[in-house]
Amino acid sequence: MKYALFPGCVLEGAAAEAYTSLNKVCDKLGIEIEEIPNWTCCGASHAQGVNDFAALVINARNISIAENMGLDIMTVCNTCTLQLRTAKARLDKDAKLKEKVNKVLKESGHPYEYKGTSKVTHFLWILDEHPELLDGKVVNPLHGVKIAAYYGCHILRPQEIMNHGDGKHPEYMERLIRKLGAEPVWFDGSRKCCGFHAQLAAEHDVLTVTGQIVDSAGRAGAMAIATPCPLCQMQLDMYEPEGREAVHSQAEVPILHLQQLVGFALGMSKEDMGFDRHVSAQAKLKIG
Amino acid sequence: MDVKLRIHRFVEGRKWEQDYTVTLKTGMTVLEALIEIKEKQDPTLSFTCSCRSSICGACAVRVNGNAELACEMLVENLVKRYDTNELIIEPLGNFKVIRDLVVDWDPKYARIKKIKPVVQPKPEFSKETGCKQSPEDFNKYKKYAGCILCGSCVSECNKNSLNQSDFLDPFVFVKAEKLVADSRDKSPEEHLKAVVDAGLWRCFNCQECTAKCPKGLDPAGAIEKLKEATFAKKLDDNVGARHAKAIYDDISESGTLDESKLNIKSEGFLMAGLRAPMALRLMRVGKMNPLDKHKVNPEIETIRKIVKNAEAAAKEAE
Repeated sequence: MKYALFPGCVLEGAAAEAYTSLNKVCDKLGIEIEEIPNWTCCGASHAQGVNDFAALVINARNISIAENMGLDIMTVCNTCTLQLRTAKARLDKDAKLKEKVNKVLKESGHPYEYKGTSKVTHFLWILDEHPELLDGKVVNPLHGVKIAAYYGCHILRPQEIMNHGDGKHPEYMERLIRKLGAEPVWFDGSRKCCGFHAQLAAEHDVLTVTGQIVDSAGRAGAMAIATPCPLCQMQLDMYEPEGREAVHSQAEVPILHLQQLVGFALGMSKEDMGFDRHVSAQAKLKIG
Repeated sequence: MDVKLRIHRFVEGRKWEQDYTVTLKTGMTVLEALIEIKEKQDPTLSFTCSCRSSICGACAVRVNGNAELACEMLVENLVKRYDTNELIIEPLGNFKVIRDLVVDWDPKYARIKKIKPVVQPKPEFSKETGCKQSPEDFNKYKKYAGCILCGSCVSECNKNSLNQSDFLDPFVFVKAEKLVADSRDKSPEEHLKAVVDAGLWRCFNCQECTAKCPKGLDPAGAIEKLKEATFAKKLDDNVGARHAKAIYDDISESGTLDESKLNIKSEGFLMAGLRAPMALRLMRVGKMNPLDKHKVNPEIETIRKIVKNAEAAAKEAE
């Protein structure tokens, strides 16, 4: 099983531990990954608000490089997934738009045209579609560990684009948590948006919702929150103290990248998973 | 099979949950279940409905936390989705409740007025010649003209749930985009300025509105189109717009985001300086290093050409 990896900017920046842990976990699971050479930012859910067509061509370029590698694309960021899948969905259903995009790529000297041959999927979806990858490899089943599954928005919505499981009532992350031996907990904030993309424009509201999510997971007895999105992880982890202040909460909950949680079940340590790079609740993590 | 509907009741200031049981019939909608309860079990239960054909939008309610049009949502599908024969029915979220499942639209209509919600015809139109446009021009906003004002898009809007005072309802943005894209309107800037003032850039981009729209109108997409129009009309002097532009420019400058400079570009040196405690927090755990040099994509010249040529092609298509 081999994928062209689209890591996204944050895995090469602030959430480098997400990249390190992904590499180690994929290696253990037998998922071969090769980074898409010279990929660019997907637009981070903002570029299309400046120039929609330019953002579309940029993502067509990213996908076309993976197509040339002959591989499907694996992402580890919800927003990258949404941006790439949106571009692909638009191009695959509109031949004229595809032609226009390919004309720009060619005129600009890009060597490949967008064809539509590579699928775009997410690390979490791969584990959901291939539960056998974990068979016999969970050497440290997380018995007695209560985990709050925090999906984040862009892996669920819109359903028409994302189309994995039921966007209104997802259950696949809980399924994975059970497969790792842990117990998923239901919490009020599970489907709320963390507000990452509006952190600067609506700061007070975003800190409030950050606090609400962590507080509700804490009240539900979660020993950690796990998320498949490094942007959600960053928001909840980096701003946990301000979030607590905003909602007058005492909750201190570690926020894990999904691959770190998987890594712990595969027998890896906190050091292996780069947990020392987390900002909040480091001492509270009782696994790994 | 019997299905239990736990309905949120609200009558004259008193709130409670009340359970009703209906026998599931093939093809039974949520609205049919509500009507059966009102006709056969409890005439005091209040809800609104009109066309029963997914056209008027009057019957939208929340089922197990998600807004649905009661007249088109089958009970059997919900039983399957939630794997239960107990469903929770509530009034739409982010609305003031009048009674039971009936919500108050008056404050929402007042909010629609903020965007100057009528076409202001160009001077070439008159009573005599009318206000015609080509099918091509109509198609530019046709999708957004399909809003039925059911309120589903705002029910789970994450921003609206936190604070409605500085952010409009998604259907208002849909209405605004319809007007901005309408070739008959003489001053799209006026609608645009109104939406910028009323929170355009405070959208969380969580896609809940698009996920909940029963007509597939993509309110989140309408918000993005409005944002794009504010750049074209130079109404982009705000932190949200500068942040989006900084991300867009980073693609041309290096290919990837330069996280260390995003805040400065978005908020300016002074505000970014006030975030020094956060920067220190990140530096402590190795998430930020001001001495790190941001990498430049080896194919940056091609990437710059792509952005430039795409911008030119987009302009040509206007």
